[in-house]
Amino acid sequence: MTPGRARWTGPWLLLLPALLLLGIFLVIPYLNIAVMSFRTPGQGTPYGEGFTLSNYLRFLGDGFYLMQVASTLWIGALTTAICLVVGFPVAWQLSRPSMRFRGLAYGLVLAPLLVGIVIRSYGWTILLGNAGLINRTLTGLGLIETPLPLMYNTLGIVIALVHVFLPFMILPVMAAIQGVDPSLEAAARSLGASRATAFRRVTLPLSMPGIQAGCILVFVLSLSAYVTPSLIGGMRVRTMAVTVVDALIDTFQWPWGSALALALSVTGAACVLLFARATRMKWKMARP
Amino acid sequence: MRRPVLTLYCLLVYAFLLAPILVVVGASFNAGNFLAFPPQGLSLRWYVVFFNNEVFMRAIRTSLWVAAVATVISTVIGTMAALYYVRYAGRMKELVRVALLAPLLLPEVLTAISLLFFVYAIGIGTTTMFGMVVGHVLITLPFVFINVAASLESFDPAWDMAARSLGAGRLTRFRRIMLPLIKPGVIGGALFAFIISFDIFTISLLLKGIGTSTLPIQLFDYLRTNFTPEAAAVSTVSIVLTLAVVIVSEKVLGLRIHRF
Repeated sequence: MTPGRARWTGPWLLLLPALLLLGIFLVIPYLNIAVMSFRTPGQGTPYGEGFTLSNYLRFLGDGFYLMQVASTLWIGALTTAICLVVGFPVAWQLSRPSMRFRGLAYGLVLAPLLVGIVIRSYGWTILLGNAGLINRTLTGLGLIETPLPLMYNTLGIVIALVHVFLPFMILPVMAAIQGVDPSLEAAARSLGASRATAFRRVTLPLSMPGIQAGCILVFVLSLSAYVTPSLIGGMRVRTMAVTVVDALIDTFQWPWGSALALALSVTGAACVLLFARATRMKWKMARP
Repeated sequence: MRRPVLTLYCLLVYAFLLAPILVVVGASFNAGNFLAFPPQGLSLRWYVVFFNNEVFMRAIRTSLWVAAVATVISTVIGTMAALYYVRYAGRMKELVRVALLAPLLLPEVLTAISLLFFVYAIGIGTTTMFGMVVGHVLITLPFVFINVAASLESFDPAWDMAARSLGAGRLTRFRRIMLPLIKPGVIGGALFAFIISFDIFTISLLLKGIGTSTLPIQLFDYLRTNFTPEAAAVSTVSIVLTLAVVIVSEKVLGLRIHRF
């Protein structure tokens, strides 16, 4: 086979379909959306002629949208922190190979992933509503007089988001703890470290990549979540993703929607980078 | 944490994970006119209503169709890319991996919006299902890639060498040696692709045309205006459908799930 022919029939042809797909339908549209955010608003059309900074200026000058970004980031951070605190002990237990019913427990963590996000959020509306299971149980027991406000607020959104994204925290953390050689902890113990110290000084630092991956995953997913905040938050609490999507569907203001979406994404990415730096870990994605 | 305390704590978390799902399934058997849990009297009436609701039935058909098409396309493309990644990428390995995982790392909302603009820019808009299918392929591709790449990593090249020394051509080697050995990874990837496609929301919402709502979109629309247990019946059928796909694949095809 001549080198010239090899170039045309080489193994890189295997990669070609995927590259074409990603190039045409991901890279080009993403460049387009960046350009779109600088377009002028259109009248009767999705966008007008020429370019302008006015979309970004409108965003920066309007306290309403800045507050909404802040509250979206707050919801994301809260969800991530709670997922870590709630999920870590579970990941820890699952990573012990000696655990009884390990397969069943692992299945219980995976099971919610098989159930659609609309259905899971719907389940939370049944549980959290004013006439929902929790409130009716509490009033029935005479513990409270008026229903607790569990829905249409940040609390309800965070509860439901923690549920939706908890498996995405547990799985990477579990994988990371499993990857830590148990003999290291045993060595620390034999040198006189207490169980807690051995965990804090040996196992925890070594499982940091998994913790970091889980946190970033949950945070990014929370920021762009649409269904859960929309169903649980209703009209009263809105996150950026809900505002952006509704703006595009209802009013067709493409440049404005693009600018809002990009502003949120850039702010989110900045938070992730700050977090990665603060946890003093190299930005390394978890291996597949 | 002491062991009994840890066990109790984990049981509580599992209960938390299952609670909203069990509540939906329970509410679907409600005999009353309004959503209530625990149900007031057991009945299958809302299932009857659902199966006679043409809008929901059409949404199920659309969902199954889109998921099937997206699964086939992403399985073929993703398997080819994984093959290149594990066997030929060399120094480009890291780059190829990041590129193939990109759709997973980018926010779905942004991907959905950019695709929406794109289908209008090329002049077809949402008159066809093209944009929706492309979106589903983009999102499901990384899952196929991850699964197939994982199973290829454990593939011993010596098998391939042996077949080659016996005179087997490239295609024969792929079909007779490699494919059977990496089958669990390919099937696992395809299964993930199908289940994930069945659940994709934002892309379907923005790229749906008239009368091409998928099941999650139709359910979401319904929930915004209706409070009958019909939505719970729809959800339960959807859960059972997904479970059936998983169980059948596991029993018939001998699945081995790698990660996730």
